[in-house]
Amino acid sequence: MSGHVTERQPITIVIDAMGGDHAPEEVVAAACALSLEAPGDHAAGSKSTSGKSSGDKHATEKPDERRDGSEPLHLLLVGDAPRLHGLLMKQRYDAERIAIHHASQVITMDESPREALEQKPDSSIAVAARLCAEGRASALVSAGNTGAAVLSCLQHWKRLPGIRRCALAAVYPTEVRRGEKDDPFSLILDVGATLDVTAEDLVSFAVMGSAYASRISKNPRPKVALLSNGAEAGKGPKEVVAAHAQLRQLRGIHFIGNVEGVDIPRGVADVVVCSGFVGNVVLKMLEGVSETVVRLAHYAYKEKLMWRAGLAMLSGGIGKLKDLTDWKQYGGAPLLGFDHLLIKAHGRSQAQAIQNAIKVAKKGISSGLLVEMERGLREAEALRTKTEEGNQ
Amino acid sequence: MSALADQPARQSQPDGSQTSAPNVIYRWDLDKTYLRTDFDTFMSLLRTAFEDAEDKRTVPGAATLLRELRQSGNGRARICFISGSPRQMRKVLTEKLRLDGIEFDEFVLKPNLRNMLTGRFRALREQVGYKLPALLAGRAGVTDKTREVCFGDDAESDALIYSLYGDLVSRRVDRTVLEQVLRSAGTYENDAARTISLFESLPHAEAVERIFIHLDRKSPPSKFDRYGTRLVPIYNYFQAALVLFQDDRLEAAAVVRVAVEMVDRHAYSVEALRNSLQDLLRRRRVSIDTVNSLGRIIADGAGARDLLPALGALPGTRELLRSLARGLRELGPLSEQELGPPPVDTPIDYLAALADLPRRHKQK
Repeated sequence: MSGHVTERQPITIVIDAMGGDHAPEEVVAAACALSLEAPGDHAAGSKSTSGKSSGDKHATEKPDERRDGSEPLHLLLVGDAPRLHGLLMKQRYDAERIAIHHASQVITMDESPREALEQKPDSSIAVAARLCAEGRASALVSAGNTGAAVLSCLQHWKRLPGIRRCALAAVYPTEVRRGEKDDPFSLILDVGATLDVTAEDLVSFAVMGSAYASRISKNPRPKVALLSNGAEAGKGPKEVVAAHAQLRQLRGIHFIGNVEGVDIPRGVADVVVCSGFVGNVVLKMLEGVSETVVRLAHYAYKEKLMWRAGLAMLSGGIGKLKDLTDWKQYGGAPLLGFDHLLIKAHGRSQAQAIQNAIKVAKKGISSGLLVEMERGLREAEALRTKTEEGNQ
Repeated sequence: MSALADQPARQSQPDGSQTSAPNVIYRWDLDKTYLRTDFDTFMSLLRTAFEDAEDKRTVPGAATLLRELRQSGNGRARICFISGSPRQMRKVLTEKLRLDGIEFDEFVLKPNLRNMLTGRFRALREQVGYKLPALLAGRAGVTDKTREVCFGDDAESDALIYSLYGDLVSRRVDRTVLEQVLRSAGTYENDAARTISLFESLPHAEAVERIFIHLDRKSPPSKFDRYGTRLVPIYNYFQAALVLFQDDRLEAAAVVRVAVEMVDRHAYSVEALRNSLQDLLRRRRVSIDTVNSLGRIIADGAGARDLLPALGALPGTRELLRSLARGLRELGPLSEQELGPPPVDTPIDYLAALADLPRRHKQK
């Protein structure tokens, strides 16, 4: 028979359909909307770090292959099957691209992760992580309990070679634009997965962050920096100083040295590396400053007619700024360091934010992110071994 | 104008016509059901009108399914097309079917030019007053034992028309309701009179056993709940083949051949087929027993004996069969409580169904 069409291997993302404040309704809505998009639509992105977007049909992919982003996206919804099915039946969706896997239990946002996972082995997040480990999907998206999501991945997934601890990364807007897509976002990691770090952890975070920025932001040579209390190599706690020395010798990444807090919003570095404790404080402070600025603008709006007129004139620009700092556009925080990818969406995520998180997950897989991280980590490991041998 | 003047032209394919009385008639719509037609914009409508037969695209799996249906039923299956396309397109459409290797027994097209020339502009878009009498007329001359399976899509009013047709022939719907529907649909008086006359002349029969609605627009399946268990909304023709296998209208090998066409010619993955199967299972449109039985047949056939010789030497066929069999088995653990609620049959309120259709199907 002539006219055979080469099948494009689909990318399957497993979704914790019961996780999040608006689950499962908003999660199902997001999946339905994405199932109707043409495969290539998921590859595009106007905000590339975040994955926010501007074939034929159709789960098991080879994570070691780099693809071109036009692969069909398949979604595996994990949760209360009859309930998920009932929601699907009321919406426009493509049944060829969505499957359901039943999980009878749910971990809520306020539960203690460790205890909840012990008591609820059939929870949607635990089952979703297990399905990924079994090869049914390449990446996991959850808007549910962050601790439970991270712990589930720890229980079911393998760490990449050379990884001792994983890192949760987040993006934030800066003055500078970068990469092929003029991306205004920098990446900061870790923002809470690993509170106490060693120098080796910081090096591996730097390698993974660099790979993420290069593959997701299409930034061919992202600038990587360590967050410290001074630009000098000797400044900061001992693990930061030691990491600085190791990163200077690593050829695979573009290490620019230390940066201070003030350099973060300036966009001096494309990837800022720090411990989970520091990163979490920084991230919350950035969010707090952003919210305070908005509140101050409201105050100014009420205070004087002239100021009100000025703000009205600036409203278009303010709208754009608001869009830039809107977490719904970012697509969630990637958990890096495992042989699969977790995109942790905000607990308050609605359909649009979850769609963006799924798009980032797909982009991560299709761009060969895991392979790139593994390559960088191997180089870091080889350098470490060589240094240790030299010291002996 | 006489009622006869508005009758749609029926054309039989001389070499394809069946001599013995049919035991089953497969009635197919063309656009968006058999053909991947886009006429949602004026430009796409124009493009469709002037397309050559070679440029027309078939919905994945539809051609194989039609060929399989034609060969089923010991040569007593009849294929009839009824389409809203204008008669002027007959040549290109029949040529397209010839290219696809489809034999048919009847081909009904809409007299749109005549409608235009005689000022019957409403009839250009109105479907109830065109398709319903055409279906009833097609029923004349067959025995009350002849069953029918209808294929349409979610773009227009196929679900309503096929269901109403089935209920008219079975006398579940009476003349009063028919008159109300025709009036509400804005059917011209002579078309309405002819429809009523055809209805009254037909003997009672439980004719329509299955209606498939191809979800070309991906309408929510729940939109069709009102039509009961007879009507199955489908995302693709693999799903239709599965239901027809369950209905004993197709053999397992035919189901596989439909799947192979979709994978081989339209880049479907085995996962897409498996998801389609799971969807049908969840909607309780095929039973787990049916799936297990198909899985066993495929698993046995994947070794070679029954299925492979029929399939030819398609690349990846063995792998497809194995994957499909494996996929079917993987779906096995779906338990009763994980499925959706069973569809229910209640009397169809055709006036309400008509009122819910897009505006152009109703009298303004």
